[in-house]
Amino acid sequence: MDTFLEQLPIVIHSLNTGFLQTMKLFFVTLLGAVPLGLLISFGTLSEFAPVRVFLNLLIWVVRGTPLMIQLLIIYYFPGLVLKNPVWGGGEAGRFAASAVAFVINYACYFSEIFRGGIISIPLGQDEAGMVLGMTKTQIFFRIKLLQMIKRILPPMSNEILTLVKDTSLARIIALQEVIWAGQAFMKGSQGISGAIWPLFFTAVYYLACNGLLTLLFNRAERKLEYFR
Amino acid sequence: MHILEVEHIGKSFGRTEVLKDICFTLEKSQVLSIIGSSGSGKTTLLRCLNFLERPDHGIIRVAGRTLFDAADEEKQKESEIRKNRLHFGMVFQAFHLFPQYTALENVMLARQLQAKKRADYKSAKKEILTEIRTEAESLLAQMGLSNRMKNYPHQLSGGQCQRVAIARALAMKPDILCFDEPTSALDPELTGEVLKVIRQLAEQRTTMIIVTHEMSFARDVSDQVIFMNDGYVVEHGTPDQVFEHPREDRTKQFLGKF
Amino acid sequence: MIKKMISMALMATLCLSMTACGSGSGSTSKDSGKSVQSDADSGQSGDNGNAQDGSSAESDKAAVVDKGTLVVGITDFEPMDYKDENGNWIGFDADMATAFAESLGIKAEFVEIEWDNKALELSSGNIDCVWNGMTLTDEVKGSMNCSNPYCNNAQIVIVPAEKASEYQTVDSLNGLNFAVEVGSAGETQAKEHGLTYTAVSNQAGALMEVAAGTSDAAIIDSLMAAAMVGEGTSYDQLTYTVGLNSEEYGVGFRKGSDLKDALDEFFKASYADGTMQKIADTYGVQAALIAQ
Repeated sequence: MDTFLEQLPIVIHSLNTGFLQTMKLFFVTLLGAVPLGLLISFGTLSEFAPVRVFLNLLIWVVRGTPLMIQLLIIYYFPGLVLKNPVWGGGEAGRFAASAVAFVINYACYFSEIFRGGIISIPLGQDEAGMVLGMTKTQIFFRIKLLQMIKRILPPMSNEILTLVKDTSLARIIALQEVIWAGQAFMKGSQGISGAIWPLFFTAVYYLACNGLLTLLFNRAERKLEYFR
Repeated sequence: MHILEVEHIGKSFGRTEVLKDICFTLEKSQVLSIIGSSGSGKTTLLRCLNFLERPDHGIIRVAGRTLFDAADEEKQKESEIRKNRLHFGMVFQAFHLFPQYTALENVMLARQLQAKKRADYKSAKKEILTEIRTEAESLLAQMGLSNRMKNYPHQLSGGQCQRVAIARALAMKPDILCFDEPTSALDPELTGEVLKVIRQLAEQRTTMIIVTHEMSFARDVSDQVIFMNDGYVVEHGTPDQVFEHPREDRTKQFLGKF
Repeated sequence: MIKKMISMALMATLCLSMTACGSGSGSTSKDSGKSVQSDADSGQSGDNGNAQDGSSAESDKAAVVDKGTLVVGITDFEPMDYKDENGNWIGFDADMATAFAESLGIKAEFVEIEWDNKALELSSGNIDCVWNGMTLTDEVKGSMNCSNPYCNNAQIVIVPAEKASEYQTVDSLNGLNFAVEVGSAGETQAKEHGLTYTAVSNQAGALMEVAAGTSDAAIIDSLMAAAMVGEGTSYDQLTYTVGLNSEEYGVGFRKGSDLKDALDEFFKASYADGTMQKIADTYGVQAALIAQ
């Protein structure tokens, strides 16, 4: 397999498989971290001090330690310390552990963005809702949520683009995402060995994905331009 | 029967006593104006009536029913208070319209949410929603905003926004409509259009409480005037009594500035 | 040992602060035997299948047999472990591991791991052995229970082909900047020979350093060099010159595991009946094979 054209279909197939894993982790994280982050942000705004203190401690620990260490702890801790390797050695277990680590980590970052969004909305919106007899839930979902989304869109798009790239950290616990797939050809895989270009080629996947996301975010921002 | 009875209302923020033993009554279809300098407690009084602040002492009755009693915990439950709020409508100084909704949607929103709780909502959904819409449209028309229904708040002038806010409050059919300095955030040339609408409501016999700095308007439109100072009701009477023949020095001093 | 204890303690502290919302299963069985047993429903329980309270040395083989699969930690490493066209793992190590698992009456499951974390993978129980052309260094022997050596290997020097003639002896290497895989046998050799080096994340990375000119030379496994350097690879401008040592490959199990003895027995038997040589022949490593 020495010519580039012979290598190309094999490499692309392998990178596609890896990128599927990258995307899976990305979407699962997003689906889990957005609602969890919203709950955490409510908690940090709660009037009940123990909840507030606990969540602020959690946010401090999660934001204050590297995601890579969190991945290692979540994947290896059950087996090493509890003597119960709940995740198992297979791919599904590694994915599940990665997803848990990413959801917790990103929920903490999201929660701070959400909190900022919530407190930036003038109190008058709450009061206007209250005097019209609305419940707190109705006020949040019918009045504040959309205004909050409009305000947090720019920082969220930042965080989400970072998430796409951060998924590559999961290779520390051998989740076979796209960079792992690209790197495999450097050492030798499927009859192609010592090929450097697949690793660099993975950048194209990230770029394409983030390009698409940027377009989506721009579109969302334009859609919300109808009000101020 | 009095439509509103306020008895011995007191309220403190920390160590500052903002309202001291406020008592007054209001009859149906009457207009009450509350005047006084900034910090005299008039806005806090209005916010207490709408339960945006909870009074520390006192009782509030509407049409003979006790809505709030500081001595009765049962009357202070969130759900209880939410229901009782609807006896009062509130128009804020800074409008507080919902920016993501059109003028019409602003007026309809709370009614629509309220309608969902009705037992016949599922069966008569269409009729109910049409009714809400028709009423909202006629309220906006009454405010002179027929051609502005589809506009968002940022596309409206301050005076138009405040008129939408009035329509939004009226849509809930409150017993008493409260205004918190409704023209203070407006340019002088826009003040007139809002005052005109309030005057029109007074002619239609709407029960209203108006906190205002517009003295001549208060004198014109009110049946009763309260002058507040330092958390107390200092002077209470007809416009003629308060404006022409004030008894207290503090009232004379205040009115002398105008 | 002390270093290990400190890092474990640190990890435990960090974990404590995270468990609240972490792994979901707070306090479960303390015994590795129990938890694996619950996965495997029945059948295949060996003679001491219920050894729950014994030490791990007594229970490891039984526990693995009980759950029905031998989880083999590997990397994609031709000719030892690599995928065929159908995506199945083959190679000298993979075939031997499959045969070993069969001899226990169970299946081998291959799991790619991050090579740096091999000891962690093993002791946390996510895999049952490391079987991937692993050089038996003191560090490896200290952290795992290792089988008898089965293959010879050497650490050799890789340089650009056009400079190869200048670097044919060990003495000529002084003054070069080397790239080696972190924690590898190659790094040990660079240290022992007093060479200047940069540690990179893997052997392929070391080669890339040389190809890119950011390092002058690299030190990697001879078995790997045969597959990765020279004609027909991306590194056809590189070549290998001096060998720095000779070393041996072995298989790593958990500390105190009785699977090591079972594998040593299995190696002896399959060397005696010639199956081991036949498999070695298939993958071109027969010359490196060590008699059992």
